Amino acid sequence: MEPDVSMETMSTIRIAVVAVGGAIPAGRLREYAAAVGRHARVELSALASFYSEQQKSPFAHQPWDSGALRLRFVLGGSPPSPWEDFQSHRKILAVLALCHCPASPDLDIVAHHFAAACRPYPHALARRCFAFFPSDAQLREEKRDDIVLFPPSDVQKMEFHMLTMVQDLAASLLMEFEKCVLRTESAGTILKTPLDSQSSLGSEEVIKAKKRRLGRAQKTIGDYCLLAGSPVDANAHYSTAIELARLTGDVFWHAGALEGSVCALLVDRTGGRDPILEEEVKYRYYTVIQLYRRAFIQDNAQRVSTVSFELEAALKLARYLCRTELAKEVVELLMGAADGAKSLVDANDRLILYVEIARLFGTLGYQRKAAFFSRQVAQLYLQQDSASAAISAMQVLTMTTNAYHVQSRRTNPKLHAPAQELGTSHGDGKKMQPQSVVSLFESQWSSLQMVLLREILVSSVRAGDPLSAWSAAARLLRSFYPLITPAGQSGLASSLANSADRLPVGTRCADPALPFIRLHSFPLHPSQMDIIKRNPLKKEWWTGSAPSGPFIYTPFSKGGTTDNSKEEITWVVGEPVQVLVELANPCSFDLVVESIYLSVHSGNFDAFPVSVNLPPNTAKVILLSGIPTKVGPISIPGCIVHCFGVITEHLFRDVDNLLLGAAQGLVLSDPFRCCGSGKLKNVSFPNISVVPPLPLLVSHVVGGNSSTILYEGEIRDIRICLTNAGTVPVEQAHITLSGKNQDSVISMAHDKLTSALPLKPGGEVTFTVTLKAWQLSLADSEVDASRNSSSSARRISKEGSSPLLAIYYAGPSTNSDESENKEASVPPGRRLVLPLNVCVLQGLRFVKARLLSMEIPAHVSDSFPKPTNINQSSTEEDDDVQDKDGSLVKIDPYKGCWGIRLLELELSNPTDVVFEVNVSVQLDNPTDEHTPVRDYESADIRYRKTRIDREYSARVLIPLENFKLPVLDGSVFLKDSQTDESAGNKAFSVTERNAKAELNASINNLISKIKVQWQSGRNSSGELNIKEATQAALQASVMDILLPDPLTFGFRIANTSVEIGELGDQSSKNPIAAHEMTQMEVLIRNNTKETIEMSLNVTCKDVAGENCFEGNSATVLWAGVLGDINLKVPPLEEVAHSFSLYFLVPGDYTLQAAAGITNATDVLRARARADSAEEPIFCRGSPFHVRVTGTA
Amino acid sequence: MIVCVAVVGNQVRSDRPRPLRGGAQNNPVYLQSFTEADDALKLHHIVHCSLDVIDERVNNPKRSGPTLNETFLGLLYPTENYKVYGYLTNTKVKFIMVTTDLDVKDADVRNLKVILQNHYKYVSVLVQIPTYIMFFRRFHAAYVDAVSNPFHVPGKKITSKSFAERVSVIVKSFGSTAT
Repeated sequence: MEPDVSMETMSTIRIAVVAVGGAIPAGRLREYAAAVGRHARVELSALASFYSEQQKSPFAHQPWDSGALRLRFVLGGSPPSPWEDFQSHRKILAVLALCHCPASPDLDIVAHHFAAACRPYPHALARRCFAFFPSDAQLREEKRDDIVLFPPSDVQKMEFHMLTMVQDLAASLLMEFEKCVLRTESAGTILKTPLDSQSSLGSEEVIKAKKRRLGRAQKTIGDYCLLAGSPVDANAHYSTAIELARLTGDVFWHAGALEGSVCALLVDRTGGRDPILEEEVKYRYYTVIQLYRRAFIQDNAQRVSTVSFELEAALKLARYLCRTELAKEVVELLMGAADGAKSLVDANDRLILYVEIARLFGTLGYQRKAAFFSRQVAQLYLQQDSASAAISAMQVLTMTTNAYHVQSRRTNPKLHAPAQELGTSHGDGKKMQPQSVVSLFESQWSSLQMVLLREILVSSVRAGDPLSAWSAAARLLRSFYPLITPAGQSGLASSLANSADRLPVGTRCADPALPFIRLHSFPLHPSQMDIIKRNPLKKEWWTGSAPSGPFIYTPFSKGGTTDNSKEEITWVVGEPVQVLVELANPCSFDLVVESIYLSVHSGNFDAFPVSVNLPPNTAKVILLSGIPTKVGPISIPGCIVHCFGVITEHLFRDVDNLLLGAAQGLVLSDPFRCCGSGKLKNVSFPNISVVPPLPLLVSHVVGGNSSTILYEGEIRDIRICLTNAGTVPVEQAHITLSGKNQDSVISMAHDKLTSALPLKPGGEVTFTVTLKAWQLSLADSEVDASRNSSSSARRISKEGSSPLLAIYYAGPSTNSDESENKEASVPPGRRLVLPLNVCVLQGLRFVKARLLSMEIPAHVSDSFPKPTNINQSSTEEDDDVQDKDGSLVKIDPYKGCWGIRLLELELSNPTDVVFEVNVSVQLDNPTDEHTPVRDYESADIRYRKTRIDREYSARVLIPLENFKLPVLDGSVFLKDSQTDESAGNKAFSVTERNAKAELNASINNLISKIKVQWQSGRNSSGELNIKEATQAALQASVMDILLPDPLTFGFRIANTSVEIGELGDQSSKNPIAAHEMTQMEVLIRNNTKETIEMSLNVTCKDVAGENCFEGNSATVLWAGVLGDINLKVPPLEEVAHSFSLYFLVPGDYTLQAAAGITNATDVLRARARADSAEEPIFCRGSPFHVRVTGTA
Repeated sequence: MIVCVAVVGNQVRSDRPRPLRGGAQNNPVYLQSFTEADDALKLHHIVHCSLDVIDERVNNPKRSGPTLNETFLGLLYPTENYKVYGYLTNTKVKFIMVTTDLDVKDADVRNLKVILQNHYKYVSVLVQIPTYIMFFRRFHAAYVDAVSNPFHVPGKKITSKSFAERVSVIVKSFGSTAT
């Protein structure tokens, strides 16, 4: 059998192409052979000029204008076939020798070689020797007939020359054919086939043979006609031959002639292909096949067999019909042929048959069948025990890998896409390439695939191709490890290692073996290295670019989840980056990964290799690092792995597809899961871009980075030191606060930082942040477990409740060295997030606040009450007194009694340390604008420190009397608690509605003046937050505290001549004696802005509470009016009413004035909390104490 | 005798409603041979190769002509000792049967089918004749029952024992009548 047969094969002239002379370089030989091979068809019209009709041509119907000679150049020639007589096209009809002159200087030797080369081809009708690139000397030699010298020239000229020579060859062949035909017609040449029995030629046989000879001659002439390109002539001869063969029962030659006639028909109708022709061809060929089958003679089947002709005919027909529409017929033909393979004696024939069947199935589009027969071919090759056969087997098997979807990545350009494409396709995330999808599903034909890969492995080992063996073993191990026994896995591992031993160091293979590698994650920049896009238009350039909070994901960011695959990552030139990948070794042997590093195709990244050892059935997450070297985008499609002695590239995408398939249950196994690694979300590959170097600030807290322990309310300075560790100066820096408890930062030294700019590389700046520890609430505190032995568990602040200091900084906004890059945006800035590590401990605990109120009656003396006009600077003495003794007790100058209101704060100290509490009241807001500026005006009134021992409670008293307003007025209920004298009765009723709110404002105002500071140890100090508690305590009685009574009453001894100042000292002395008429005055002061009419009563009581003026035993005599005194007091003024008392009995008495106010205003009613307008309003003064000395 | 039956799926990814161009993902869903000889691999190959023909018929449905709506594909191809028959569901799941009954002609099988369709009530009478259509119908029904299992993952191999038993019962019943 011959390969590549078709129906037209019968019309081709076979020419052996041999190399003669010195050894021709392989490239040259290929070049020459290609140049010759281009002229497979020589038009008859073209060779007319070379043709000379020496006798009458037997080809009467030669189509000189349209016909052609078909040449087939057989490189290296072929051994003679025993069937040459049967089919002339099997003969080598011409010999074409190629000679490379530079390699063979002596043309004589060449000629000698040429003659020798022609010797095996006795049927050669023409011989030519083409010598290329002759030297000048060779050219100068006399012209030889046997060697055609191609003068050195350009390619085009040589082509032309070649064409001419081939046409010449064709013409001479044509002339030779004519001779042959004539010879065959005349002389009775005996045409024999191996089929004809040679030994026993009986008489009958001889007669039969004679009869047959004519038919055979006709058939041979027909063959020559076909070769000469004259199908019409050929057809005529074949028809005769068929008739004769049928008559003589020469079945075999009948079939041959019929075959020839079909070929003539096709050559004649070249191009045209109508169904009628096709039917005819089909019919005739089926006949041919039948005839060949009949020609099969059982007895000489061992020696010669016609089966090959039958199969060849079937293949020819199949090739002719090979179209998808006729697929069924073709398949039947081919399957029939395949069945016939068993009866073929020669293994080579079988090989050719299978090759042809596979090729035809491939043409038909039946890839799987083609693959199946290719495997048969490979098995036949493997049966031959030679390396070249093994190489052929390997190559044939490699071709079938596509059909079984186990192809090497090297041969599959789709899988081995360029880096750019890889980057983008990976970015597409979920979209998988169709190729990989199909391979996932087809991978379930695992039994077939494994067999194929094993065969490739075996054949490549036998063929001595370690790289192919490595690749096959790698594919086998990687794809089918779950189906291979541990022993088999180890065997594959050792064959990998063996193959690698025979490979040069550093060999690369397109097919990855183990381990499986998937992208685990990109470790985020540590918060010290955050990169923030700079917005050059804004002053606060960091805003609106990156998430400013501590959260990586904010629910308010645009887009939602659809866009998250396009995450952006920025790397900085020169700063090492890290990528986490997970490796899995699902096999049962120790896997030594000699080195693994990130594969970067963009060339701007230096990856650092690491070596890993993976025990059986384990997965490991490892950190791969590298340094970006150049600005630009980076794509990392996978890892380069040096394992089993070969360098391979493992793409993340492949494993992603594999895992996706595993998730759908469609592929064999998930290598990571079977290694015990958890399921990981498919990590999409972000867009990575590299930016030029940026400054890098490194911070540390002076005094250690550990967290500062503060008690609630404690105020502390924290000094932070920043160092520029980058290579670019910091030119801008801003500090902002974020995180929880931001208000605990009282101040930050912005200017200290800004004044240090630009901060050169290596530069350092220290600035101070003042912190006030926040109050612990239940939500953000936790019980300190270490102290649970104590009865009162102490609370400390939770992790992460500290405020964060975000320092935004950036280098120069324009890069001078990159000026050519005009559109380049501003290099990004950075953010340094610095948590102020504060651990807040529970400090002094506020238990409760109470308002205490007490009145101590004043002694009636001539010094009291003080002079009426508060506008006078009359309180200097008070100040003196106060400053002198620092007494907490204040005397109401108007009331004339020792009225004290105290705010009692109960504090407990649950901590380990001693606290000292210091209460101060700020008096920087005098309520009376008429009061001249006093020296204590803005000063804080400080009281003595209270010491609270640990685990004790203490009460701190704060006097509140100082806050009383001098005037009772509707305006106190307004927000601005100014006194407006000109405004009379304001629309109080309107504002009453707001009274509550106004009160609160007043309370807040009041409370803000009270500061409770504490100190503990040497350097802990802080302030106690008591606002809420005091507010609650004061809510009820604020009016009493803040507002003065509308009327105040005072008593004094009417002794006007005495200076007040002098009498102040004498007040302690007792000027009142019994049995003396004492002139006294009652002073009534109107604290409102309206005139008040009243009826005044003065009473005097003794220690027993008996009224001394009335009753049977009145102990006090009086002069003047004491009851129902009608008085009218103008606003803000006071009126004195004089009377005299005569005490009969010495002792203690109490004087008290009371007044019923007539026509009370709304303000008064409000002050008195009267419910109705009819209710009488009484105003009672504070009692005055009178000590009467003397003897009874 | 039936030597091998196979179900070849047409797994379509949920986000890819149409099968890929150039046919489908021909994943073997079920493949069982019923021979004592150790030729499972050979039968694998035969089934795999038969997909070529099915693919071709799926891709060129117009050529099927009158058999457009027929699920029974008839003889797919003859190979050395076997004949391969195919059956294609509307969801492009393929049922493949490899048999050793070389004498039954494709045309006969088709004619039988016509008879069955025209005289369905006589099926019980005619059931003695090996009718591959009947085989495939029953095979199909068994498959439908198997994949109706809520725990079956579409596209995955069928590992159900009851399905295997049922198929072998069907095969045996036909094997006995075929000889």
